[in-house]
Order: sequence, then C-alpha cells, then structure tokens
Amino acid sequence: MAPNKRMMLKADINRIYDDEYYSEQKIKQEKFFVRPSRQRKMKKTKWFAIGMGIDLPFCIIILILLTIGTIMMFSASYAFSYYTQGDSYYFLTRQLIFIAIGLAAMVVMSFFNYNKLHKIAPIVLGISYLALMIVLILPGDNGVKRWIPLGLFNVQPSEIAKFAIILFFAHWASKYYNKMQFARYSVLPGVIVFGTTALLLFLEPHYSGIVILGILTVLMLYIGGMKTKYLFIGFVLMVGVVLILAMTGGLSYAMSRMDGWGQALIYTDEDMWQTTWQTRNSLYAIGSGGLWGLGLGQSRQKYLYLPEPQNDFIFAIVVEELGFIGATMILLIFALLVWRGITLSLRAKDKFGKLLGIGLTSQIGIQVVLNILVITDWLPNTGISLPFFSYGGSSLIMLLAQMGIVLSISRTANIERQ
Amino acid sequence: MENNGNIRKNSKKAAKGPNQRLRQRTAVLIILILVVGFGAAIARLGYLTIVQGSSLQEAAVGQQLKDTTIPAKRGTIYDANGKVLAESASVWQVVMAPIYFENDEQRKAAAEGLSEILGLDYDNVYEKTTQESYYVVVKRKIEVEARDKVLELIDTLSEKYDCGNVIQLLDDYKRYYPQNDLASCVIGFTGSDEQGLEGVEYQYDDYLSGTPGRIVTAKNARGTDMPFQYEQNVEAEDGNNIYLTIDETVQSICEKYMKQGIVDNNVLNRGVCIAMDVNTGAILAMVTVDGYDLNDPYTLPKETQKKIDALAKDKQAQAESEALSAMWRNKAITDTYMPGSVFKMCTASMALEEGKVNDNSTFTCGGSMVVSDKTIHCHALGGHGTQNFVQAICNSCNPAFIQIGQLIGMNKFCQYYQGFGFSQKTGIDLPGEAEDSFWAEGTMTDVDLAVASFGQNFSITPIQMITACAAVANGGYVLQPYVVSKITDSDGNVIKNVEKKVKRQVISKETSDKMNEILGYNTSTAGATAGYVAGYKVAGKTGTSEKIGSKVESTFSEDYIASFCGYAPADDPQIAMLVFFDTPSGDAYYGSQVASPVFINIMSEVLPYLEIKTEYTDSELEYVDVSAGDYTGMTVSEAETAAQNDGFTTTVKGEGDKVIAQIPSVSSKIPTGGNVVLYTDDTSKSETVMVPNLVGYSASEVNSVASSYGLNVSFSGASDTGVVSTSQDIAEGTSVSPGTVITVTFSSSTTTFND
Repeated sequence: MAPNKRMMLKADINRIYDDEYYSEQKIKQEKFFVRPSRQRKMKKTKWFAIGMGIDLPFCIIILILLTIGTIMMFSASYAFSYYTQGDSYYFLTRQLIFIAIGLAAMVVMSFFNYNKLHKIAPIVLGISYLALMIVLILPGDNGVKRWIPLGLFNVQPSEIAKFAIILFFAHWASKYYNKMQFARYSVLPGVIVFGTTALLLFLEPHYSGIVILGILTVLMLYIGGMKTKYLFIGFVLMVGVVLILAMTGGLSYAMSRMDGWGQALIYTDEDMWQTTWQTRNSLYAIGSGGLWGLGLGQSRQKYLYLPEPQNDFIFAIVVEELGFIGATMILLIFALLVWRGITLSLRAKDKFGKLLGIGLTSQIGIQVVLNILVITDWLPNTGISLPFFSYGGSSLIMLLAQMGIVLSISRTANIERQ
Repeated sequence: MENNGNIRKNSKKAAKGPNQRLRQRTAVLIILILVVGFGAAIARLGYLTIVQGSSLQEAAVGQQLKDTTIPAKRGTIYDANGKVLAESASVWQVVMAPIYFENDEQRKAAAEGLSEILGLDYDNVYEKTTQESYYVVVKRKIEVEARDKVLELIDTLSEKYDCGNVIQLLDDYKRYYPQNDLASCVIGFTGSDEQGLEGVEYQYDDYLSGTPGRIVTAKNARGTDMPFQYEQNVEAEDGNNIYLTIDETVQSICEKYMKQGIVDNNVLNRGVCIAMDVNTGAILAMVTVDGYDLNDPYTLPKETQKKIDALAKDKQAQAESEALSAMWRNKAITDTYMPGSVFKMCTASMALEEGKVNDNSTFTCGGSMVVSDKTIHCHALGGHGTQNFVQAICNSCNPAFIQIGQLIGMNKFCQYYQGFGFSQKTGIDLPGEAEDSFWAEGTMTDVDLAVASFGQNFSITPIQMITACAAVANGGYVLQPYVVSKITDSDGNVIKNVEKKVKRQVISKETSDKMNEILGYNTSTAGATAGYVAGYKVAGKTGTSEKIGSKVESTFSEDYIASFCGYAPADDPQIAMLVFFDTPSGDAYYGSQVASPVFINIMSEVLPYLEIKTEYTDSELEYVDVSAGDYTGMTVSEAETAAQNDGFTTTVKGEGDKVIAQIPSVSSKIPTGGNVVLYTDDTSKSETVMVPNLVGYSASEVNSVASSYGLNVSFSGASDTGVVSTSQDIAEGTSVSPGTVITVTFSSSTTTFND
C-alpha cells in the first residue's frame, strides 16, 4: 500500500501545484499596490462592481455595522463617560478618530495586493511574538499585562496575534496544501505556533485570547486541509480532560474560580457578589430589554450599574435598549457579514486568498458568538470585545484593516466570477 | 481508509477535489458559526429577554429605583359638630445616606451642623455618619424652623464640601390635639409612628392611618438622580376622617363639673361621666377624670411622679408604666363597679314588666331584713315603715327591693339581667371594654338575689349601666352605644354612616313610661331632690355602693362609689347621664351628696345647650334668668325706661348724662327683677362691693341679701321651696362691681341621705 500511496500523492501534488501552488517568483513580479491606472487600462474600473471592484454588499454591511455600532457605543458610554471622564463625548470622539483611521486603513488595504502578505506572513508572526513579549516587560495594570501604550491608543498584542495566526496558517496551508494531511505539516506547526503564543498569553494573563487563538488555529488548520482524524483526537482529548475535571469535582471549582461563571444571579458571599457584579448587571440589562427594548438611549443599566458599558458588555446595553428583536436584527447583519465574507473568499483566485478571507471573516463570527455567550453568562467573563461595537483603538483599526484585506480579496474573487 | 477513499474520489474527479474539500469544510464552518454559534446566542438572548425578562427586569428595577415612602396624612377626628379634636400637621424627618460621604471632613461638617440644629448629641450624629448605609434617620418630626435650617445646611454642605446629596428631608406628620385633655380617654393618642395606641385612635386605626405613598425615582449606582426624567409617584392615600358622636360642648361641660366634683369631694379613684342619647345610643360625652394631655401622654401628674420618684430605683420603671396605663384607662368602659341603688331602676322595671307589682303594692321596712339567716340592713336604720311601690323607689329602701326581687324570682331576675345587656359587652366602638362579674348560672343563692336586687355584690361597667338606663327610659330598647357617627374619606365623601343599633326590647313601652313617671317623681318631689334641675323634668336615681373587697382608702370606714344615673326630660327622654365618683373621701360619700350636685350642674347647662324645652313651674318662673339688654349710649332716663321695660330695676352711678357702661354686661343672664347698674362716668366705675356670704339661705333670703349689696343672683339647681343655697361661684369677701351676677347653687335642705 505504501509505495502506491506515495505515487498517487505525487500525481496529486503536481496537479495541485499547477492549479494552486503560489510561485514566489510571481509575487516578486507583482507590484505592492494594484494601481488603478493600470486597472483602467486593463478593464473599466469599477469600485463596487464585478471585476476588479470591491464587493459592494460586504462593504455596505461593514458600514452598516460600523454605524450601528458607533451609535450604540455612544449611547452605552455617555453616562459612564460623563461620570468618569466628566465629558459625555469622551469615548465617542475618540472612537470616531479610530474609525477615521480604521476606514483609511481599510481603503488602503482594499487596494493592497493581499498576495504580498504571503511573503511577510512569518514576519508578522514574528512581530506578534515580539509584541507579546514586550507587553510582558511592561508594568501592566493590576498585574494584568494586555496593552502596549502607543500615545493616542493602546495596542493589544493579542489582536496582532490573532491576525498573525490567521495569516500564518493561511500562508502555511496554501504553501503546503498538499502536505497538510500529514500531521507534521498540520498538527505540528499548529501545536508549536499556538502553544508558544498561548504560553505568552497565559503569562499576561489573557485566557479569552488563548481560547480565541485556539479556535482560530483549529479553524485554519481544518479548512487548510488537516485530517479530520486529528480534529477528533483533539476533541476527544479535550472532552476527556473536562470529564476528568468534572468527576474529580475540579470543574465546578474551576468554574467558580472563573469569576463566578454561571453564578451571577446566585448570592453566595459578598466577594463573589462583587466579582459577578458586571455579569449580573449585564443579565439585568438584557432581561430589562424584553422583546422590544426600552428604546434607544433609554438604558438604565448604563448608569454606572454595568461597569464600562462601552467595552465588552456593550451588547447588553444594546439588548436593553433595542430588545430581543433589535439584538437579533444586529446578529443577523453580523451573520450576513460572515456569510458574505466566507462566500466571497471562496471565490478568490488562489488558495491563500480563500483561506485568509475565510479566516478573517470567521474570526468576526466567532468573536460575536463568544461575546454574546460571555455577556449572557454562558462563558466566563474574560474580555472578548464585540467587533464594530466595542470601544477600542487598536482592535477597531486592526479589524477595519483586516476587512480591507477581505475587500482586497473580493476584487480578485469578482474577477474570477466574471 | 478514509484517506484511500479520498484519493480514489480525487482521482475520479481530480479537478474538483481540493476545492470541493474546502467548500465542504467551509460549509461545516458556516454551519458551526452561523447555525450553532449564532443560533445559541440568539436562543440564549431570547431566553433571557422573554422567559426570564420580567424577573431580571424586576431585579434591575429594584436596584435602579430609589423608593421613598411618603407617609399618609392621618385622618382628622372631629366632634359631632365638626370641631377638630385630633389633627395631623406637616412636619419633616431628617434622613441621610452616609454611604455617600467621601471623607471625614464631610462627616464632621454634617454631624456638627445637624447636632446643632436638631439639638442632638454630636458624637451620636457623627457615629451615624460613619455607617455604611443608604438610609439613616437622624431625627423625626422636626418643625418648620428646624427644617429651614436643615435646608440651609444642605446648601452649605453642597457648596463647601460637595456632599449635599447625603442629607434629605422627608415629609412626616405629627398629631396634634387642640383640646389637650378633652375627652382624652375616648380619643386616645398615637405612637411615634402615628399608630393609634388608645381610644378611637386605636380602634379606628385602619380608617385613620391611610395608605402610605411612594416616590420612586431612578438612581444611578451612586444613588444620585439619573439625568433623565424617571419618577413615579404613588400618591399617599390620606386617612379617613372620623366624626365622633361626642359633642365638644357637652363634653367640656361634663369635664368642668366632674373635675370640680373630684376636688370638692376629694375623690381618690377618678370619676366617670357618660352622657348618652337615649334614642340612638350615641355617646354625647364620655368623661374619665382626671384625663391626661393627649399632646403629652407620657407625662404623669406631678404628685404621681413624685411618688414614683420616691420609690426604689429598680421599682420606678414598673411603677411608672403601671401609673401610665392607669392614667390612660378609660374607666367608663374598662373598670367595673357595683351599681348600688342605681340598679333599682332595673329591678323596678322587671317587677313592673312581669306584673309582680303595681301602684298599690306595699312593702314594709323595719330597718333590716333577714334572708336565709342573714340580716341585711337598710340605710335608714329606723326603717321606712310601710311604703307603696313608688315610695319604696323614692326611699330607695333595700328591704322593699329585697321583697321585689323575691317577687321577680331568681330565673326572671337573671333573664332580665341578661336582657338589659349586663351579661355581655355593650360592643361600644372603643378598645378595652370589660365584662361584668355576676354569679355563674346555678350558683346564685337567695342572699345573692336579695343583695343583687339593690345592685350589690355584682359588678358591671359604667357603659353597661347607662345603656340599661337608656333602655328603661326609651321604651325598653337596649341599644349598642357608639362614639363614632360617621367616617368620611379625605375628600369628604361619606364612607360609613353609623346607624343606631337596637339589640332587643327588654321592657315594654308601658313599663318604660311608668318608670319615667316614677323616676321623674323621685327627682322632683321625693328623696332624690338632689337630682332636680329647674325648668326640666328629670328622672333619676342615686346610688351609693360599697366597694366590697377593696382596701379602705377613703376617710370613711368603707370605700364607696357615689353615683347618679338619670335622664331628661322625664316625659320624653332625650339624654341619659351617669355620674359616678370612685372613692370620695371628703365630707360625704352618698350619691345624693356627691354625684347628684354634679349631675344637676351638668344637666342645667347641657339641657339648654341641647335646646330641650323648658317647663317652668310658676314658682320657678320667678327665678328665671333673663338676658340683660344693651343700655349703653342711651341717656340716663332712656336707659332706665328700657331696663325697666325688660323687667329689671336700675341703679345709676356717676354724674354723667349718658350711660357709658353697665353691669351686668349685655346678654348676661340675670333673674327677672334683677338690678342693672348704669354707669355714667369713669370714676363711678371703680366702685366695688364685697361679696357677702350667700350660702345657707333660702332662695328669697339670698335674693334680699344680694339686692341689698346691689348684686344679682342667678339660681342654679332646685330653687323650689324648702331648699337652701349650698354654694356660690364668687367667694365671700371678693371685691366685685355692683350688679355682678353671682351664681348660687341650691339643693334640698331636707335631703334624706338615701343611698
């Protein structure tokens, strides 16, 4: 069986090579930016249209989410902003600056030939490691070291790490697509890259970052072609660990240690009651929203009951003000974004583009789901921000830049479709 | 194996292979993220918003809203004529939320200001400022002046220390009793939380208290108001107003004379006076003297306090609380007493109703009577001889009533006892009504029946006695006495109108009429002349009962209760009244000496006030008082003519031409033929005369003495022949202006002190 197998693979690899393999030579020939003038010569330039244009629906969905998100961020933050900063517009003005920068980055990235990223993927990963190590050296805040202050805004190394991991595995899996079924090309780099990053994040500590990176790593490897078998093995191993923890009683201990996960509404002792304050008030806000919500701007929980309502828990205020209906609508727009992002990525002309596009869009979907599960107390309160909604400089700019990459991918996707 | 399959598949559809796998895996991914992930998120949100929504919202609202209670204004208590007896006025309470203090400087400033304004101990207030609480009461029931100062303090605190939100003023109410001790035992008072503790305040607390309202305001987590308008007010529902049947005028007349009676007779154990509308059962006045100041119910009379202070320290607290509850006790319904001879009106009614006696029945009294080997004495030791039924009542002869009791028989006697309502509480709408103490069924002996016939050896409450008396008077109807006639809500709509409640008819109209006749005869002619009120036909019966079993407190060999129970007019009874003094220790103890004069004094003021028609006999007419006219401003001759036309004689003092003043003044009551002194200049006005002694004379003698001094006399009590004056309202030797009216009270000179 063995020689035969190798033979068969060889043939297979050649075919894939012709079809998919990305030539480094080719990258070198390409210009860093696709100049519109050149495009005009080749084809009629269409900004938002089929053929060299960016994907219009995807772009519109992003802008819609950004608009709703900013409005809600302002609504959620103004009381908190007033009481803590003495200015109701403190967070809004800053967020608008970030949006301006982010949108600029998005436009730039949409004109950027994403294939150039192929070459720099390992470098980005390196930068990510560097940032993760720098943050450990910095003094941090209350023993938590998640931010690198950069004047106007703070950079969260874990944001870079998420992008770096998606980029790296898109690069890796498209480069070694034919070998991805072998553990040493899929499982091994996965374990090494994720393991080291996770270790650095663990030292910060930033557990939610580890969870997201883990999911992203598995996701990238899975769509990159890793054998399902390894996925199952990993899954079985995880379930086993959880079961052992559950049987030894360690699980509930771990749960209770995880900031009173799942116990926000049950009073046990004063310390725990204070610890679960944020989650409990998030639940109060969500419950207060009911079906139709209290109306835009009418949240009561944002009046200092829900701490930092502009950050991770912003969606609780959204539900309180817009109700279940409004929240579901927003989630559907998110779902539309994910759907559109993944389907357009699938039409990218090359493997790298497909994997990168799917990875970047999925990341948004995963973050949204995890964020909702955190604010509804189904996951521990671990600081997962809501894309387009939560306040934050580096993450928003990173996010919009990444959306720019997806838009860049959409240009080639639309050509292919034509 | 799977791998092989894949390869085989790939080799067949080689071109589509890897893309196909990517598509498949992407599909799985989309399902995982969009269906499972988003599905779970939406489901979870739906569960929380829709299923758990209301309970979560409730919890959220619970922490967001600051709930402030607005006390309801307690209802007002009015007398029968709408005069205020108890009222709540707005005051304030100072509360604070010390948790908002940020530093010690703020606490000290607040504590200093508050302790100074409210007269509190600084350390105490400072201790309160250090509490980790949102609600601490600093002081309750502060008045307007203090409130203004606290408001200033709040301003100062917010300007200088930025903590103006800590101290707050809340509405509060304080109970005021404008009449102080009037009807204290009926009205009762309230505690610190405005809850009724005694009397009507207690009995009708549910009506009076109202429903407290709430102000719900949205607060942020720091407890200050949220910037947007969110306020919900649940208005306090003010308490209902209560109208008593008590007439403030009648009540104060009764209290005035009862207090006088207590002093005059050195009564040791308080006195009771109840005036009742005989036809409805409405209580017009209920007096327990001495009462207490309702505005200050926790202060004992000075003498009592002195006695308590003299006690050992460890016994003081108990003595004080006992003294307080004794002072608050409404003796008219809470204490029982032996009715004595007053009860004979019931015994007589039974005998008449049962047809056991008639006008011709005769009873013999030899000074005592032997029942079952026990000798029972009459108060007239020499005996009353042979008397008919009416005489027996007028003589208040015990042996006669023993015989009447025997005629009635034990069974019937007990039946009527129950029929008159002595065996049950009357059901008056006041707290603490006591029950009677009578022989249990089957334990009554002949001796018991004998003494019970004249009201001894069983105890009833004064309210039971007056209720039975009313039944005797009103045609036999036993009524339920009541003190509240009407309840209105705060807008004046009537919520409850109390109607008279007839329990039963115990004797017939004929018997009742006969009793009215006999008892009327009793007061006007016979032994109980002391119950006679000039111009009115009054029916009544005296009573002097021994306080068996109680230790001797009075100067007499035994302690007595002197009482009088009567009603007027005898031919058409309107008002019944019971006067009783517990343990008189003065010169006399008989009901006729102690209780009757008080009864007469009260009735002679109450009956005219109630506009009950007078029926004077000719001899009485001579002494009927007339109002003096206004003669000032007239010339001397005009004035003389005018005064003489009004039936007065005149004396002119001074040299002037015109009358500038007169005594008695305009509309004061003076007897027909009285002397009006007309002053014509200022110097003449300073003339005075000394009041002579007017006690111990007959009416005509009093008249001639007074007129010789140039004074006028108003007669009180029986001014019939054969009476002597017993008191005068202006003491002998007092300097008064000529023409001043001196009220002289008369009572029979030949009173047989029938018990």
